Amino acid sequence: MKIVKKAQAGTMQSSDLMVFLEPAETLSVTIESTVVKQFGALIRAKVDEVLEKHGIESGEVRITDRGALDYAIEARLETAIMRATEG
Amino acid sequence: MVTSLLSTDDLGQARALVEASGLRFEAPYDDLVGVFEAGRLVAVGARQGRVLKMLAVTPSHQGGTLLDEVVTELVGRGYQDGVDSFFVFTSPALVPGFEALNFNLLVASGTTALLEYGDGLRRYLSRYAKQILPGNNGAIVANCNPFTLGHRYLIEQAAAAVDQLYLFVVREERSLFPFGARLRMVQEGTADLENVVVLDTSWYAVSSITFPTYFLKGGDPGGAIQMELDLLLFARHIAPHFHVKTRFVGSEPWCGTTAAYNEAMHRILPPLGVEVQEVERKSAMDRPISASRVRDMLLNGELEGIAELVPVSTLDFLLSSEGIKIWVKGGGK
Repeated sequence: MKIVKKAQAGTMQSSDLMVFLEPAETLSVTIESTVVKQFGALIRAKVDEVLEKHGIESGEVRITDRGALDYAIEARLETAIMRATEG
Repeated sequence: MVTSLLSTDDLGQARALVEASGLRFEAPYDDLVGVFEAGRLVAVGARQGRVLKMLAVTPSHQGGTLLDEVVTELVGRGYQDGVDSFFVFTSPALVPGFEALNFNLLVASGTTALLEYGDGLRRYLSRYAKQILPGNNGAIVANCNPFTLGHRYLIEQAAAAVDQLYLFVVREERSLFPFGARLRMVQEGTADLENVVVLDTSWYAVSSITFPTYFLKGGDPGGAIQMELDLLLFARHIAPHFHVKTRFVGSEPWCGTTAAYNEAMHRILPPLGVEVQEVERKSAMDRPISASRVRDMLLNGELEGIAELVPVSTLDFLLSSEGIKIWVKGGGK
């Protein structure tokens, strides 16, 4: 799928994350997290996995996380992808 | 649930909550939201452009997630409206609370801290990665409304003294000439100077992000603090990124605000490793050249004298159909 418009999902509450997607020519992922030191690599791996699953090859992905578990990351990112790609 | 506050009763409750928290209820705003419990407003927040303000939670409900919910709603809606970075002014004591929401501290002075949601500053700086050359570099921040021979003189003097001169054109749309037009006048007016690089300030220098009174009980004179934050941001984040060792500025004989800004520059920048060089203004027809003088002449229809004050490239623009439209709309004849 292709990111064709701006979309956002999630909240700023503890144990959740905010996902911002925007169309772009290349793929860029930035992750800010209150637990980036401990779990930054795991968050990144999960994000890459979800992007790959949905065939997202380009776009600007910005994530601000407050210690979300990986199924929350998956759910929020998938929601944002649906919003950013639907007609 | 966070809802928009629209009715007269909503607004009355919002004002009461904001004022009870020691803040001022400040119109205008683009968005005003809150959380009700049993018909009573318990949390409120507003967004004006990129600035979040009037954030308040009633004392009995503090410590929970209400502030998170309000900020989430304001940021989510703002993002849909095309705003991609958000700022909050607060007291340094409240910085950790916002950092927990993934706000990044940009600068803090004694009484005020400026935080940004998202990594806008990093993205702004990395946008210019290719134009950065190490060396003994200089910087000028200017509005160029419009670009005059005075700017040109300052730029020539500065460019001769440094390896690279970064010329930041103020992004803010608060001037007679829109940013696009100012940028073009500057680019055309400096095209022959090889070591001058023209950039935009984005929101990070001399931006008039409105100063909201968020959590500033007792209130400080906003202008002075903002000036200080602006200069601290420049010295700590922008100057090191561009290897800027010297900031150049024209002397200011008239405008009180600009003179105070120059004075603050001398006070704040050198201790942080950025020298300040004030260059005496160039004169024409026995008076210093300034953009405001050019605007006055345009608005009074005194077109003959303008050629003495601006380079040919600016004059061509001012007399083009696009240029005329701008200053005629501004009240000129």
